[in-house]
Order: sequence, then structure tokens, then C-alpha cells
Amino acid sequence: MTNIQEDIAQETMFLQTVAKALGRDKVLTVAPNRKEVGPPAFWREQKFEADQPLTLFKANLEALTGKVAIVNNGVEATNQIKLWLKVLNAKTAIVWDHPELRKHIEFSSLGVKTELWNSDKSRQELIEIAEQADAGITWVNYAIGYTGTVALFNGANTGRSVSLLPPTHIAVMHKSDIVPTMSTVMRHLIEQRGQGQLPSVVDFITGPSRTSDIEMDLSIGVHGPFRMWAVVIDN
Amino acid sequence: MSERPTLHLRDRAVKALKDDQMRQAVRKAVDRLSANKDKAARELPNWEEWREQTKLIRQHTVNHLDYYLKLLTDNVKKAGGKVHFAPNAEAARKIIADLCKEYNAKKIIKSKSMVTEEIHLNTALEAVGMEVVESDLAEYILQLAGETPSHIIVPAIHKNRNQIAELFSKVAGKKVESDTPALTAFARKILRNKFISADVGITGCNFAVAETGSITLVTNEGNARLTTTLPRIVISVMGMERVVPTFEDLETVLSMLPRNATGQKLTSYVSVINGSRQPGDIDGCEKFHLVIVDNGRSRMLADEEYRQALNCIRCGACFNVCPVYRQIGGHAYGSVYGGPIGSVITPLLEDDIDFWGELPYASTLCAACTSVCPAKIPLQDLLFKLRHRRVSDGYGQVVEKFAFNMWKRFFKLPSTYKFAMKVASLGQKPLVNNGYITAKLPLLANWTNSRYMRAAADTTFRERWEKRKK
Repeated sequence: MTNIQEDIAQETMFLQTVAKALGRDKVLTVAPNRKEVGPPAFWREQKFEADQPLTLFKANLEALTGKVAIVNNGVEATNQIKLWLKVLNAKTAIVWDHPELRKHIEFSSLGVKTELWNSDKSRQELIEIAEQADAGITWVNYAIGYTGTVALFNGANTGRSVSLLPPTHIAVMHKSDIVPTMSTVMRHLIEQRGQGQLPSVVDFITGPSRTSDIEMDLSIGVHGPFRMWAVVIDN
Repeated sequence: MSERPTLHLRDRAVKALKDDQMRQAVRKAVDRLSANKDKAARELPNWEEWREQTKLIRQHTVNHLDYYLKLLTDNVKKAGGKVHFAPNAEAARKIIADLCKEYNAKKIIKSKSMVTEEIHLNTALEAVGMEVVESDLAEYILQLAGETPSHIIVPAIHKNRNQIAELFSKVAGKKVESDTPALTAFARKILRNKFISADVGITGCNFAVAETGSITLVTNEGNARLTTTLPRIVISVMGMERVVPTFEDLETVLSMLPRNATGQKLTSYVSVINGSRQPGDIDGCEKFHLVIVDNGRSRMLADEEYRQALNCIRCGACFNVCPVYRQIGGHAYGSVYGGPIGSVITPLLEDDIDFWGELPYASTLCAACTSVCPAKIPLQDLLFKLRHRRVSDGYGQVVEKFAFNMWKRFFKLPSTYKFAMKVASLGQKPLVNNGYITAKLPLLANWTNSRYMRAAADTTFRERWEKRKK
């Protein structure tokens, strides 16, 4: 048998065993009817005030040692990041080559050496740069008020390493992209999937890397960033 | 699955009860986790509705697992991944070892995964000459110590900081201080290099999404992100029930898992990985493999009651409220999966009602586990059913069998019942102390050694009833 035939035979046998355990002769191939999908109905139907997502986001992220700066425009956002980088004594930053991020943040004014995450450099070079960088700067597709979460859509110029390898992660977003709950993000992803455009990875990030594995003692920054800070542009 | 311990449950429990440090650590952990969970449950509106919804989603998925696994398989393939099927642990180990060999891998980094513990993957990979490093801080500590997890959420809870500092100092070749920041910083430094140099990353799978072929990984440390971002090959291993139909369902289980596990609204990191990397992507893996493991699960699936145990989302909430777990900790269970859920699934996964069938007795049947389970698994009913099966399969204790036979004989007829009550109230006299039987009875030693039995009353209810009527 060829490998492919062998693989298919194994798949068929495995799924057949599952079907049999469920009392079926053959694997079910028609979508079963469902009544209950996703979160409870009340959750999907709840209403929020216009400012509530931002207020919640700020309170929740700050409770997790995060910082949230609310600014009016790109210039202020650039200044805020510059200030933070100065406080951290940062020398280098790796930034997503993302059109929105470029539009709002003046990389050359950040007071540190910035490197863009794009195909001008090799995978190995970029990972090394991100590993050495003092901060990683990303653009947020959605932020979630209810949990203090940022959702990053990772892809070609929006590498996963940028929010992961440096000790500080600074995420920039429009206020209008802060939604109350994860439901909006999930609905968006379902639409994107319909168009065959799912990002390779969606990372939901809620505060810094943490662990309580040693005597239940909370410790920040075990594998990922020690600091997860957010800049919200309210325009 | 679990390598059989040499001691039986009772002796393992006795041993555990002598370990004061472990017991103190376990009490601290479960109290903290439970309190956090209770707080989270109060903060999320309509908690019971969420539990019901979680149950319905899990139930629907498990009842149509053939459909959803096929859908998942097709979508993982569409997203550029390869799917492998392992009917048992041996097959799973072989698939993964063969893949590592095929890619000429020498160094493997792992993020926390219970199913890879279940199939004893590490020893199998080490046997063929690979370096396997656990990257979850607790798992790394346990790997250095050569020990197994004692709690599903905080696996190294039984180790104290001095023991951890000693283990790390050995790796460092110099003294590592025992304060938490120093220990964490040391692990970060060592493991960061392991991530960068690893050829293959191996992860578990908290939830797969059938509709999109996505694999969701939930961590606080970020180790699953590193495991799936830096190595060029990623292998995810999942127990075959770890699937939900859609992203909307994913939101539901993601709302419940962290809140029930640690009381967090969401863990620091939830990665939804939609296949291997797409054209143009720079980091992330080049090849993605998903290994779906049965290893006894289809046997559970075939029984409509036991099937419910497959609804588990592995939050560990049942551990934290269990009065037995609280006293004996995780190792006394002797199995990969401990606590109430482990006592249910271990005998079933192992298909061993004799030795592993002892585990359902590590329970008071108080139903605290059932009352907190976010998927509303009737754990104590299943524990009870397993005990019943053990007895009907002939593995019960002789004394117990004798006692129940006597009970049946005397309680069948009013006359014999009356006689038995009379004999009991007279016969117990020498043993009674302040209304309790405090003496140690030879055949009932396991009972009387640890608790007092209430004595039968001097006059029976019937006698008093008769008296009143007069």
C-alpha cells in the first residue's frame, strides 16, 4: 500500500470505531441538528454603554499589572511609547510592519533603534532581533473589555515573536476596536473563515506572562513578556 | 496508560498521609484555587446558565464525535496540516517517534500536555536518543526531579522552593537562590535557549475547533506560544474528545476553563492556531501534525453513562473541592489523572476494574465534585457505578460481601429485622462508649480505625411506637 492509502485506511478505521461506539454503522457525514450553540443567550444579547468596553479594558488590564494610556492621536501615541521606552531604558524595539501601526506611530521618533518585522530579513535574523529587543510593538485587531484582553492576528508582517520574545510588549489600538466580549471577535473570525482569510494564529493576550507554579506564589514573566502595556487612540 | 504502582490505593494513601509538607501544600493550593474560582463564578453573570450551556455543547459534541472528528480532520488537512490516528498509546508513541526521526530531530521542546503523560511519550522519545525538555515551569521542575504531576493545574505543588532551588542549582552547576523571582528567571533563561534550539515542538490541545481545523492552546506562561512559534515542526497531540464544533462554542469553553481552573477571567495566553503557517509567514512552524489519540476513549464512548466523563474540560475544579484529594494529594491516586475525574476515567481508560477499580473508593460520594463541574458531569454517580461494577465483577471484599449478605437476610422480613435489631442493641453493649461504638473491631478495622460508628438505640423505634400507642 502507498502511504496515502495507508493513512486513509487508518483514518477510516479510527472514525469507524468512534461511530460504532456511538451505535452507528457508518460515520455521520451530515451536520447534526443543534439547539445550543456558543455562549448562553443572555450573554449574546446583552447591551453595553459606548464607553464601557474601554473602561472595562483599562480596569481589567491594570488589575493584571498592565498599563493603559489613552491618547488622542498618533503623535501622542508615539510620545507615550517613547516615554515608556525611556523609562524602561530600552535601546531597541521590534515592530510589526502593519499599515495602521505605521500610519499612527512615527518609528523614527521613538528614541530607540527600531527593526521592522517583514521579509527584508530572514526568519533567523528576525527571531534573533526579537530575542534581543527590549520591546515589541504590535497593532491590535480587537481588544476585549470584559477580560482585559488584546487579540492579535498574526501573519506575514505581523509575526508572533514580536509580542512574545521581548521583555515588554506594547500593543496599540483604536478605541473603536475595543469590544465588550469575545463574542464579537469570534463572529469576525467566522466571517473571515467564510472568505478563506483566517489569520495563521489568533493570540488572545491577557496581561503579562505569569506562573504560580512555585508554592502558589505569583511570578511575572516566566517565558513571555514581563510587561503588557496598551496605548488606546481615541479619535 | 499509567504504569501500575506497586502499592495498592490504601497503602499509597497511608504513605501520603505521612507527608506533612505535601499535605500542607495541597491544602494551600486547593483552598486558594477554590476561593478564586468562587469569586470568578460570582463575577460572571448567570453562572449556572454557563454550566448548562457548557454541558450541552460538550454533550452534543461527544454524542456526534465521529462527525466532528471527520470535520476537524478535513479542515486540518485543508489548512496544510497532517492528521494521524492512534488507536492506543503504543501507536501514538510510534507515530510521534517516527515523525521526529523522519525530520532528523534531536531536540524536542514540549508544552504541558496531559495526554502525552498518559501515553508516556517522553521515555519513548528518550529511548530513541532524543532530548526532550518540558517547558511548563512545573513540568520542568518535575522532569528534573523525575516525578509525576500531583495536580492537573499546578502539577508541582508538592515541591517547595528549597527543593526546586536544589534541582536548579544542579543544572546551573552553582547555587540558585530559592526566592521565586530568582527561580523563575533561571528557568526562563535555560528554557529560552531550549526553545530556540529545538527541532520539534510538541504540544497538547486544550480544544480543537472542528469547523476550522484550529488547535487552541491555553497557558499562563506563554510556553505553548514559544513551542508553536520557534521550532520548524510542531506536533500537537489530542485526546479524541478534545474538540468543539465552532468558534462560538470555543468562546463558551474558554469562558469556563480559566475561571474554573484558577479563577482567572482568561489565561494570559490563548492561541488559536489555524494550521501550519501561511504563505509569507516568517515565524511559526513549516510542518504541522495533529495526532488524535483514542487509547480507551471509544470504550467509554460506547457506554452512555461513562460517555459523560468525556465532557471534561480538564479544569481541575473537582480536585479542589474533593475532601479525599485534599487529604492524600495527587500521587496517592497512582495514575496520570487523579482527583474525582481521574478516579472515573482511569479504570475505564485502562479497562482494569480490579487494580484501577480501587480508585472510585477514593471518594466519600459527597458529590462536591459534581456540584462544581463546569460540564456538569455526574461524577459521584459514575464513581458509584464503577464501584457497583467492581463488586458485580467479583472484585469486592469478602467481608463486605458477607456483611451485605447478612444485611439482605435479616432485613428482608419484619421478624428477622426485629430480631437483628434486638441482638444488635444487646450485643453491642461491651463496645459502646457515650452512644458510639469506639472499640476497634477486627473485621471492620478499616472502618473503626478512622471513625466511630453510632450505636444502635437501647429501644427500637418499633418498641417505642408500640409503647406510645398504649
